[in-house]
Amino acid sequence: MSVTYIDAIREAQETLLREDPRVFLYGQDIANFGGAFKATKGLSDAFPGRVIDSPISEDAMIGLAVGAAIEGMRPIVEMQFADFSSIAFNQIVNQAATHYYRTGMPIPITVRLPSGGTPGSGPFHSQSMEGIYAQYPGLVVVTPATVSDAYHMLIDSVKLDDPVLYCEHKFLYRWLKSKAINGDHLPIGQARIARPGKHATVVTYSAMVHEAVRAADRLQADGWEIEVVDLRSVKPLDLDTVLASVARTGRLLALGEAFPWGGVTAEVVAKVTEEGFHLLDAPPQRLNARDTPVPYHPKLWAAHRPTPESICDALRKLLSF
Amino acid sequence: MPTVPILMPQLGESIAEATVIRLDVKVGDAVRTDQEIIEVETNKAVMGITTLCDGVVSEIRAVEGVSYSVGSLLGMLEVTEEEVVRTGVDTTESMDAKKAVQQEQDSGQEDNLHFAIDGDSYEEDPSIIPSVKGLPVPTGVMGAHYISPRMRARMADMGLREADISAIVGTGAGGRVTVEDLERFLDYLEAWPSAPASPMRMAVADAMRRSWTRPLATVGLPVLLDRLLGHRRAQLPKPGLTLYLLRAFALALKEQPMTAGYLIGEKVVHPRSFDIGVAVQVEDGVVVPAIRKVDEKSLAELVTEYDDLVDRARRRRLTEEDSQGGIATVTNFGTFGLTTGTPIPLPNETLILGIGAGRKTPVWSEQVETFIPATEAELVLTFDHRVVDGGGAGVLLKRVSELLQRPEDL
Amino acid sequence: MSSQREFLRCSFRAMLRSRTLENKLSSLYKAGKIVGGVYLGRGQEAVSATLGTSLIQGKDCFAPLIRDQAGRTAFGESMLDCTRTYLGSVEGPMKGRDGNIHRGRPEKGMPAMISHLGAQVPLIAGMLFAKRMKGVLDGCVGATTVGDGATSTGAFHEGMNLAAVENLPMVVVVANNQFAYSTPNHRQFACTDLVERAKGYGFSGHSVDGTDMLACAKVIGGAVRTARDGGGPQMIVAHLLRLSGHGEHDDGSYVPDSAKGGHYGRDCIEVAMRQLAEGGYAAVNEILSWQEEAAEEVQRAVAQAQQEPVPDPYREDWTALSTKFPLTST
Repeated sequence: MSVTYIDAIREAQETLLREDPRVFLYGQDIANFGGAFKATKGLSDAFPGRVIDSPISEDAMIGLAVGAAIEGMRPIVEMQFADFSSIAFNQIVNQAATHYYRTGMPIPITVRLPSGGTPGSGPFHSQSMEGIYAQYPGLVVVTPATVSDAYHMLIDSVKLDDPVLYCEHKFLYRWLKSKAINGDHLPIGQARIARPGKHATVVTYSAMVHEAVRAADRLQADGWEIEVVDLRSVKPLDLDTVLASVARTGRLLALGEAFPWGGVTAEVVAKVTEEGFHLLDAPPQRLNARDTPVPYHPKLWAAHRPTPESICDALRKLLSF
Repeated sequence: MPTVPILMPQLGESIAEATVIRLDVKVGDAVRTDQEIIEVETNKAVMGITTLCDGVVSEIRAVEGVSYSVGSLLGMLEVTEEEVVRTGVDTTESMDAKKAVQQEQDSGQEDNLHFAIDGDSYEEDPSIIPSVKGLPVPTGVMGAHYISPRMRARMADMGLREADISAIVGTGAGGRVTVEDLERFLDYLEAWPSAPASPMRMAVADAMRRSWTRPLATVGLPVLLDRLLGHRRAQLPKPGLTLYLLRAFALALKEQPMTAGYLIGEKVVHPRSFDIGVAVQVEDGVVVPAIRKVDEKSLAELVTEYDDLVDRARRRRLTEEDSQGGIATVTNFGTFGLTTGTPIPLPNETLILGIGAGRKTPVWSEQVETFIPATEAELVLTFDHRVVDGGGAGVLLKRVSELLQRPEDL
Repeated sequence: MSSQREFLRCSFRAMLRSRTLENKLSSLYKAGKIVGGVYLGRGQEAVSATLGTSLIQGKDCFAPLIRDQAGRTAFGESMLDCTRTYLGSVEGPMKGRDGNIHRGRPEKGMPAMISHLGAQVPLIAGMLFAKRMKGVLDGCVGATTVGDGATSTGAFHEGMNLAAVENLPMVVVVANNQFAYSTPNHRQFACTDLVERAKGYGFSGHSVDGTDMLACAKVIGGAVRTARDGGGPQMIVAHLLRLSGHGEHDDGSYVPDSAKGGHYGRDCIEVAMRQLAEGGYAAVNEILSWQEEAAEEVQRAVAQAQQEPVPDPYREDWTALSTKFPLTST
């Protein structure tokens, strides 16, 4: 028996519904149909009245969730695709994110964002929105990369009193498997060393953790030992773990699947340069998707996002500086 | 005969599975390209699954009323080789081969990290151009001269300067010295005897290091000292050789003050007053007190001032003010018995004039038409080549030499 | 509310207190005492107050908008909340972190508005939705007001549709004051009357003369009662004219004289005063004493807020999250 990433998300929601009467799920096609990706399959039968179909109104969905949170509930909103959360942007960044600072009342909503690219999904079903939301004060943005994190971080997200953008990677849904969900886990806000090394550090998150590990495996053949840091949550950003790793290796590659202008990788490089310039042996590097919309065709898509090849290439250049 | 799998297709953007509601074929049936063979239902619509080629149904796995996720195997067709070529369909065999390649690429990964991109819809292409651009600095050019922020921070911790690591052979990229190289070198030095450097030594080292950042050049010419020494014997008190040199240097500089200019940015700062420093060897170092307005004082006037300064310098009794304001320096390394040298000007000065030890040498005399013995010494001038060129330095040096031949005018 | 008489007297007193308070805010603004803007509900008091009076604090929820001082007052907001927020007192509900009309007491069923129009519609729907899940919805109403301008936003449309899909006891009052900032109705929407939209959304639609307190009491009060009794979502379009600029920085010179001199140009407070006297709901003397009480109350609220400390940037807690990171391992 093995558990997939999407199984973990589904199980986490089942646990939450079972254990906390304040939790309810709200989203498009999530009730009887079980969600576009089956993340809520069977939950509406098991928890009648608590897994509810919404109209195709992303703005109103988050507005409703904020209102429900004010009334003491802990809603989980499923955006069918992270890309569509652009419609809900106003409610997320202006209503939910500002509420605690303005009124002193936190808004414990969790917005699930099926994120990232899969072959053939094209420009509007492939986006990575974490950098945009992380820019706003008042939001927590998590990006689980493993099956266990998918499970535990969703549970922890709902338990947080603040609004959380839970960025789940669609590519990992069915392809990432684990024998079981680990019992113990790190809290939100703490990064993890996905692979130890001493010659260079790759700081990344979500699906790119696996691409980085693949790249590191390849470079091992040439004698390079690459450390991979899985941020787990991009906001808050665990700078301590990142700096400790850079202190070990002296070299940094910030890797992400989002568009290249600004974003998480830029923040990582800026923070390390600000606070760890004396740790660096080479200029910190960034590797992101290309600066175009995410293309449809699998061949274009695979060359648009960072690949093990392009990561190896970036690392070799970094190591040769 | 090749087999072609019948798979549950992707029936819409967000559809993950569909239910088989009717099987229109059974094992053994011949089917034709584009024939609808299985009817399936999603939440949105009822649709027929079609075949991509002609063939015979060899296996049916799907069961009516059961839901299957996208990509599930619903059945098999047996297809002729010719039909495979005609339609270009993927057969079970060709798909297995692709999967084997994929698995080989993915092998060696931990189980919980293991995932494969759907081999059916995506094939890795090694010709994909990586989207990373090169670093802006070509490694070969940088070489050992580049000190990374990390290396610099480590050196600062240890109080080291660039010059201190010049002995280390770097093993980093492009022959660069790494922190590990540095630490290895320091470990190696641990076995050698050592002593702490005196504050005087550190001060000289710092001044010389700063001065050495400039392009310095030295010119020289021999000068006869007999007339000067004759003049000196007749004086009371007797001025030292260095004092004659000081006076000649000041007068020459007054005629061409630009030579002592100090370059800063796009500006040359000219001397304000002809105050000349004199290098005095003290214990474990050199100090350079300056004598004020050397151009305006006679030799006789200078003797007392000079003797006092040198005396105080040797006793380490100079004030801070004594060492400030010089525009150039004179050094008499001849007192150590040296005949020539390339002295280094102070970091805040452009020129240093030096003289070596005098020695007897035959000089051709036009008057008596024979060689006569004379005392000759090497006069050298080191200059900042950014400010002065060899020609300019030569003119200045020649003028000093001429003035030394007329000691009575000094 | 025990009787119609009591309802009208409560509504009117809220109108009066609101008008008195806002006149004071206007003069504070013009004296340079208020930073930012001052936005008045002048002309909208009858609509807002009758809505606020129809609601029950502690049970219902109410998302007031920019011109709802009267509704806030009727719903139970203290004048101090208002003056403290306008003057930036740290004792106020927003502590100087937000100002003027962007204030609320979400824990008391009155969320703080954001500037993005239409955004409070689904928010109120969410509060009702949660009450239903908790099993406490019976007899509750959720209300919000918007202007004619907000009806053009996608958020308004999404929120209305969602509230109707969920069949929530929701009352949405559209105060059509003829201008969204400077934009007149004919550049804002092309339907004859905004109330036509109610049917499309699945709301019961009502129209009312917003300058007529008696009519507002009947129509708005009635709609709230219907929603409370399970009659589904209610939309009321109140017709009126904004009797001020968009804010006190704006003289509203673009409002034509024909509108000012027309039927909706009349002052709802003067109308209401006559209605109270003529209907025997309140004596003139009584109204005069209410006026004096209101003036004193306003003066006290302003004086207190003015004496209170303003926020200190060196002591401000500059965190936007209630969670204190880093968290310890679980």
